[in-house]
Amino acid sequence: MEIHLFARILANKIVALTILVGVGVCLIIVPTVTNQLGANPVERLLHVSGEIAIWTLGAVLSLTPLRVLFPRSVIVNALNRHRRYIGVSACIYGLIHFSCHLLYQGDWEDVLQSFTKPFTWFGLTGLTILVILALTSNNWSVRKLGGKRWKLLHRLAYLAAIVLIYHQSIAGKGHWYISRWLLFLLVALEGARLVKKFRFKKPAAITDRKSKDESF
Amino acid sequence: MHIQKKHSWQLLDSAVAPESQYLRRRQFLRTCGLGLTAAFLPAVVRAAPSGFPDALNASYKLPGAKLTSYDDITSYNNFYEWGLEKGDPKANANRGWKTEPWAIEIGGLCAKPGKYDVNDLIKAIGGIEQRNYRHRCVEAWSMVIPWDGFALAKLVAMAEPKPEAKYLQFTSFMDPKNCPGQRSQDFSWPYTEGLTLPEATNELAFLATGIYGKPLLNQNGAPIRLVVPWKYGFKGAKSLVRIDFVVDQPKTLWTQMAPDEYGFYANVNPEVDHPRWSQKTERVIGGGFFAGRQPTLKFNGYEKEVAGLYAGLDLRKNF
Repeated sequence: MEIHLFARILANKIVALTILVGVGVCLIIVPTVTNQLGANPVERLLHVSGEIAIWTLGAVLSLTPLRVLFPRSVIVNALNRHRRYIGVSACIYGLIHFSCHLLYQGDWEDVLQSFTKPFTWFGLTGLTILVILALTSNNWSVRKLGGKRWKLLHRLAYLAAIVLIYHQSIAGKGHWYISRWLLFLLVALEGARLVKKFRFKKPAAITDRKSKDESF
Repeated sequence: MHIQKKHSWQLLDSAVAPESQYLRRRQFLRTCGLGLTAAFLPAVVRAAPSGFPDALNASYKLPGAKLTSYDDITSYNNFYEWGLEKGDPKANANRGWKTEPWAIEIGGLCAKPGKYDVNDLIKAIGGIEQRNYRHRCVEAWSMVIPWDGFALAKLVAMAEPKPEAKYLQFTSFMDPKNCPGQRSQDFSWPYTEGLTLPEATNELAFLATGIYGKPLLNQNGAPIRLVVPWKYGFKGAKSLVRIDFVVDQPKTLWTQMAPDEYGFYANVNPEVDHPRWSQKTERVIGGGFFAGRQPTLKFNGYEKEVAGLYAGLDLRKNF
């Protein structure tokens, strides 16, 4: 009973939006206003916003495999209603992260300097994909592009995840040790999804033959 | 049994003293008690390198530089043994981790090796002094820190290195039981660093035991650490337990972890970028949100004192 109630709360759009915005309020706005960012505030914001962005992207990418793995879970189905919100949030947090990068560099000369580094290119590539996907996330775009093409375009989210996880893993000394958890999680989920796909097909074929045998 | 009867005219104790003093009454007693105890204790048992006369060495005043606040220096730290975030060392290194008593061993190719208590070492060296040094992190931020300690050259002279000794190897503590970062297999602990012998005997190379006249806090590498102001901050190995004189260039933690990004020399050099970011400018800690950056100086502003050490060396290759 409780789980159904919980799922109904999770399925609520206002609840989802509150959580997605709330993360930013709690981790970005409140510490900024109350001066809790430490000795290097812009660097702190840069790291926090990037971290939120990539984990939000990880969350939206884990929804598809979760739905395949647990098709009857009311929780998973409730969360799957918010794919669009979560995806757009990842893009917005990514844009906040990019703004922090500009502020962190200080002036345009340093910003231009930063654009000479592959490290920055990876981040920008990922963010550009997220912006394209966010802009085409509305119903109008789905109609205009057609379901098949729209789906193909939005598979770019996987490419964004790969370049952004790489971007994070090289972001600092030892950052690979943080970002690999997201990578392992997504690979495990996708792997399980594939395993389920193949295992589902085989038993189906066997039962099919069995039922034929029985009919004799 | 003594039964206290309260009369209607009696005032509360709290009413006869200002509230601020009343609330601190126990703290006052505690301070008195500590002071008395400390006065009767021998110097060795007191907080590690403290109690030594200390004064600013006028040659290292760094005129015009604005000192970073004590609060920023002691709360914004790269000390991966205690965690990857800047606030982790302060949070994690102060949960009962003991840095006294602390022994440091000087060994390898020298005529006078030995194992010293840190306080005894300072005594043997002849005391401490204060120096204001620029501190430039490889991550492109900087501070100005008033270190207390002594010239590394004094320790080298005391140990009398043998002629075949070419390098110094510095080794930090190893204590995975108490130290969360060291329980991870991702880094090759303990932290090690190295200097060439001429670098180590340069007047600027320093072993710090304090900041702002106070003993080093755990998050800053208590009780004794290396400070090499013309090099990136990671060269300054913290909480040292060994210094060895060796023949071959020591393998350091960062040259093993990421040899393409962190070289053995690690001299501050605005002309040689880090693969991921520019080293031309630096963000000064304490400036707040919109302070911007300042240009980074070659050898962190100590070119006059140290450039001679690298004559004929390609600093682009030997970064």
